[in-house]
Amino acid sequence: MKWYNRFDWVLLISWLVLSIIGLVAIYSATQGPMHQGTAISGNFDRQVLHLGIGLIIIVLMQFLTPQTFMQLSWPGYVLCLIIALLTVFFGIEVGGERNWLNIFGFRLQISEFMKLATVMAIASFLSSQRQYSMEDFKTLFIFLLLIALPVFLITLHGDTGTSLVYIGIIPFLLFWAGLSFGLSLMLVMPAVLAYLTVINIVAAGVVAAVLCGVVFLVDRRPLVSVSAVLLAIAIIIGVQVALTEVLQPHQRARVEAFTNPAVDPHGAGWNVIQAKTAISSGGLYGKGFMQGTQTQLRFLPEQQTDFIFCVISEEFGLVGAGTTLLFFLVLLSRLVYIAGTHKHAYARLTIIGVASVFLVHIIVNLGMATALLPVIGIPLPLISYGGSSFLSFSIMIGLCLNLHFYERNFSIYAS
Amino acid sequence: MPVPAQDPRHHRIVVVVIQLIVVSVFLLLFGRIVYLQIYQYDIYSPISERNSVRQQIVNPARGLIFDRHGELIVGNEPSFTITITPLNFDMANIPLLAELTHISEEEILQLVQEARTFSRHRESRLLRDVDFRTFSNIQENLWRLPGINHQVEGKRSYPSEARLSHVLGYLAEVTRGEMTASAFYRLGDLVGRSGIERVYEEDLRGNKGTEFVTVNAFGRSLGPFNQGQLDVNPVQGLNLHTTIDVQLQRVAEELLEGKVGGVVALNPQTGGILAIASAPDYDNSRLAGRMDRSYWQAVNADSLTPLFNRAVATLQPPGSTTKPMMGLIGMRLGLITENTTIHCNGGYMRGRFYRCLRRHGDQTIAQAIETSCNTFFYALMDQIVTRHGLNVWTRMMNDFGMGVTSGADLTGEVRGLVPDSTYFNRVFGVRQWGLGDMINLGIGQGAMGTSPLQMAIATAAIANNGNRVKPHIVDRISYPGGDMELIRPEPERIEWINPVQLRAVQMGMRKAVTDGSGRFYANLRDVAVAGKTGTAQNPHGQNHGWFIAYAPFENPEIVIAVLLQNAGFGSISAAPLAGMMFEQYFYGEIRRPHVYRMMLEFEPAPFNPDRN
Repeated sequence: MKWYNRFDWVLLISWLVLSIIGLVAIYSATQGPMHQGTAISGNFDRQVLHLGIGLIIIVLMQFLTPQTFMQLSWPGYVLCLIIALLTVFFGIEVGGERNWLNIFGFRLQISEFMKLATVMAIASFLSSQRQYSMEDFKTLFIFLLLIALPVFLITLHGDTGTSLVYIGIIPFLLFWAGLSFGLSLMLVMPAVLAYLTVINIVAAGVVAAVLCGVVFLVDRRPLVSVSAVLLAIAIIIGVQVALTEVLQPHQRARVEAFTNPAVDPHGAGWNVIQAKTAISSGGLYGKGFMQGTQTQLRFLPEQQTDFIFCVISEEFGLVGAGTTLLFFLVLLSRLVYIAGTHKHAYARLTIIGVASVFLVHIIVNLGMATALLPVIGIPLPLISYGGSSFLSFSIMIGLCLNLHFYERNFSIYAS
Repeated sequence: MPVPAQDPRHHRIVVVVIQLIVVSVFLLLFGRIVYLQIYQYDIYSPISERNSVRQQIVNPARGLIFDRHGELIVGNEPSFTITITPLNFDMANIPLLAELTHISEEEILQLVQEARTFSRHRESRLLRDVDFRTFSNIQENLWRLPGINHQVEGKRSYPSEARLSHVLGYLAEVTRGEMTASAFYRLGDLVGRSGIERVYEEDLRGNKGTEFVTVNAFGRSLGPFNQGQLDVNPVQGLNLHTTIDVQLQRVAEELLEGKVGGVVALNPQTGGILAIASAPDYDNSRLAGRMDRSYWQAVNADSLTPLFNRAVATLQPPGSTTKPMMGLIGMRLGLITENTTIHCNGGYMRGRFYRCLRRHGDQTIAQAIETSCNTFFYALMDQIVTRHGLNVWTRMMNDFGMGVTSGADLTGEVRGLVPDSTYFNRVFGVRQWGLGDMINLGIGQGAMGTSPLQMAIATAAIANNGNRVKPHIVDRISYPGGDMELIRPEPERIEWINPVQLRAVQMGMRKAVTDGSGRFYANLRDVAVAGKTGTAQNPHGQNHGWFIAYAPFENPEIVIAVLLQNAGFGSISAAPLAGMMFEQYFYGEIRRPHVYRMMLEFEPAPFNPDRN
């Protein structure tokens, strides 16, 4: 088999298309007449550089063997933890977050690279065990510890949004690693039920009943089913009490701003209203490149980073936004596919870990941009401006390409 | 039921479930975008337009005011204003703003709060009429000051030689009450507070324009929206053409300088006011634009009350200037004819002795006016009230415009006091007053008070053969395109005045100027002047001098009424002032500069505000 038949072109092309969509959107968000002379006007040139570096890294990575990466898993994880710790003390503080470390003039946001390092460390840990069960207490403890360390440090950076991503990948990894269906479902219950309780408590109750029913059907253990029911009740009541009793009215307004932004149109609701306005006014075909009034007149906050999807939606309409979603779907679906077919446990876990990082980012970022979720500032993978974020996601793709490319080599070292 | 890890069957289910999760997440997100972009497009598309397009009010230029010869009295000049949209303003910029404008931070903060209470979204004026250097400072630093903007507006300028303070009036910022009562006004708009600026506010203010501009999220203007096709241009306020003669006004104001009193000159045929001055006055230009607060306080605190328009609002007994009207009333009631003589032996005896200035002997009405004989009018008043009653006299005096408001387009006009029985009953008590209180009224003393404007109206009625004019400042309002709205109220005929009787009174007034008390200063060589001096007794100090006059004697063009407070006899204080005004009016220059100088230097007795 020729090398180019073994290479996963779908993945690479999806990566390239998404990166170019990102470049176009960043160009529009930063090169309009309103942005000349502002701090963000140089972002486009920098992102072009990031793309170039990213491409070179991906290509170079294909000349290394998977064994190299496997061996790098632990040192990489430890190195990232150390840098994260250094960032806590020597980081550059921007807007209450201290998550950049200045290394030779390059601003490094270690929390972005940490995601891959964590995924690789977990994969390395689990695959090194001959037979593992996630219901084994010691295995689960080490697994959770591997995630808790970076979460702790990144929370110290003040970047709670990125911490959430780490927590978000837990259910996916556990589910993948063989946790029983019932327990996996119980893991996602808190997020789903808490979200629904804020929006509509009746819907939360209905969904809770359905979820508990499913838990009972897939996992007949009475203890699990009873725990699920108790957990659901505790979450709904707890969130409701927090909303009505514990939170001050203004805090409650912030929480509810994403469901009803009109409550506080110039405070918490501002971003939501402007983002919704940008997306909705794009219509089917959009206002045209560089023609989006929300974007060009800077009504959109953080439009080249967190709200970049609004720029695409406003200027290219449903066609542009739908295309972007389609390529993300292709990318993710392909990742899950190669993870599912891969023979080696390390590769399977790493690829599914990368896929879940992408998925959580996409859910949180697009949920925020389309006003389904509260405003949590995390980037849209490959599209948002940002060197660390772009390179980190590119390296993740590069690693997955590598693991897939050298799949046959694994057999020799297969566990 | 422990699940063996990496069981192939279990693993296949896991892969399918995760694929399903991925696909359903994307279906959900795609559905959300379809919902937003297709179903909510109609809701948000207008919002995005509104977001980026802002409506701005363009203030119209206020109407101009001209004098009777078309000379500009009130114009507009550019004034630089700093505006604020509180929503976009960052309070942390207050120190910077204070530094650029050289105004204390506390004051800026207070102004910002004021604008914020008016509206957080609407642009309102922060600082009005800043100097050009401050204006350019702000302009250069606009990028550092989101929410701050600037505009050039008009402020009132007063290019003419006359001050006309009370007539024109001043402008001040609208009050909260006015803003709620009218949709027209916004915070910081100027509105006429007195004078014709107030009376003709709705004509002068014009119509505001609207401008649509594209703005960014910071509210900064990026240029016109849609090439300005939706803009509505402001409509300039209407111009007013007044009857004021600027040169005559200037003479009156100059001669009143340093004195206390009022002057009214009007056209007896139309009622158009040629000059109207009150002293002391104030400087409107210092109240234009940003109000000079210290000046405003000084004007308000001045014991001589410069804001008080004495020409229409001061009330003093008219003294002997009431005698021509008395004569007409007496003749009309049949108590005397133009030929009836009354003997004056130095006074009139009725209950007590009412003194005259000297023994005049037998006097006709014309002679009594010429010599200003008190006896004649004491006797006449006695007969009027005993035969016809006080109230008949009161009504007839009112017909001359005394003791009633004229309805002139001026502010601050008072009704004056010509007493009737109701008044005396109220003030003194029923049956607590008598003949003594009424006989004095015959020579314009006692419980009587009229303003120079009222005396001018009464004099005009004599001059124009018995018509009560309605005085007015504005002659016509000119519309764009040359249309005019004339404001010329018809004089009202006083039915009971008889031409023969009137002639006798007119002759008496003419003689008073040629041979009587007015002969020194009011008698002009080429123009026949008729008039009457008066001296209002002032129990608190020096008497007030009055003079009423008209000219030319045949076919009169101008009536003048002068009141100089604490100036002593009207013949030597008020009459020369009127004489100078006649010279200015008829010759266009002052022919007797020595009289002019004398009047400039004339110093009345010190004015005691507590007693007058």
